[in-house]
Amino acid sequence: MTEMVTLRVNGREHPCRAGIATTLLTVLRDQCELPGTKRGCNQGVCGACSVLVGGKPVRACLTLATDCEDREVTTIEGVGTPARPNAVQQALIDTGAVQCGFCTPGMVIAATALLEEHPDADIETIRQGLSSNLCRCSGYRKIVEAVSLAARRTAS
Amino acid sequence: MMTQTMIAPETLEDALAAMHAEPGSMALAGGATLVAMMNAGLVEPNSLVALRHVDTLRGTRQLDDGGIELGAMRRHRETALETPFKDGQTVLSYAASQIANPTVRNMGTLGGSIAFNDPGADYPAALVAANATILIVGATGTREVSAEAFFVDWYTTALEAGELVAGVRVPAALVGSIGHYEKLARIAGDFAVASVALQVTWSGDSIAAARIAIGGSGPTPLHLAEADDMLIGTGADSDALSKAGLLLAQAADPVDDVRASADYRRKVIPRLLAKAMREIAPAREAA
Repeated sequence: MTEMVTLRVNGREHPCRAGIATTLLTVLRDQCELPGTKRGCNQGVCGACSVLVGGKPVRACLTLATDCEDREVTTIEGVGTPARPNAVQQALIDTGAVQCGFCTPGMVIAATALLEEHPDADIETIRQGLSSNLCRCSGYRKIVEAVSLAARRTAS
Repeated sequence: MMTQTMIAPETLEDALAAMHAEPGSMALAGGATLVAMMNAGLVEPNSLVALRHVDTLRGTRQLDDGGIELGAMRRHRETALETPFKDGQTVLSYAASQIANPTVRNMGTLGGSIAFNDPGADYPAALVAANATILIVGATGTREVSAEAFFVDWYTTALEAGELVAGVRVPAALVGSIGHYEKLARIAGDFAVASVALQVTWSGDSIAAARIAIGGSGPTPLHLAEADDMLIGTGADSDALSKAGLLLAQAADPVDDVRASADYRRKVIPRLLAKAMREIAPAREAA
């Protein structure tokens, strides 16, 4: 059985249908037409599905859609656009820190939330902050470099 | 017919009534455990009672006797970083800080984790080492169960149908005691291959009190008063540690799984205990 839920995603209202076992991830990708959020492990381990709920990073795969009705959801599509990338996205481009790209949306969400909380994050803080996210290309070094660049740019 | 609804009550009373009204319903806390199990097809709740709006489950309360009550909806991040634990109570913040990863620690809750009793999870052994009490609430009232009695068997707790974990009471630890959680995992944030949670109190050069619990090595955390006693009065020399460690390893009931073999788990228990004691040496010198 499904019920109607209205999700507020990236500042827009999306009427959706969800059963009790339907995750936010499924609804974002299949009904909201926001496929930037990736399904990796579906167990909360890999971080590819990271989104912001109420400004805090969470796993969309471990969040039920029907439990999100009164919460503000921000996906990768909501943090920047190709024309206006946010500081983390621009730094990833400038550093060449994207390989296959599958982990990138989750990495951007995690890094954006991290820099929100720690604008002057040092390398260790960045490494800890990104430890929620796996990169299957193992391209961590460049990603950490990029987030560090974004932190320095934001600070100056 | 299954109604399959999600209810999000604002009071504990309404939550319990909803659990009672729909047999087979499950409480949804942060989702880090329950939704992962639903995604894996291991759990299929009839309906869900979301506890997110029940404010009374969120806070902490400092008790006059030095104890601390933690609400069931307390997130791992809050337990790790924002709880004023004292002395050996810190075994809980060490354990919470090693659960999964920062994002999951931002979602997962104390109650949600312990209600599942995953043998590889971090809270069970830490709560037993801290001599904590689990506060349970149900339609007929509240009851308290020691952590040792709460974890009953593989993925099984003392919770009855319709009951919820309301919180945990962590008693004051001995003044000057040291808390520590030593976890062996394949990578940081994975479930434990095995873990050692402890509270130790030194008096000069010898141990005056000790409480050790082993995690990840059987259906429930393992605590043996005889093993604690073997360390008391010693200087935690390698002989005393290996004797206590061996006793624990023999009593452990681990299984072979993807993380490690049962033999390997038995082998590392004494070594983890020795490592935990080495790790707390600086805290001991500072005390």
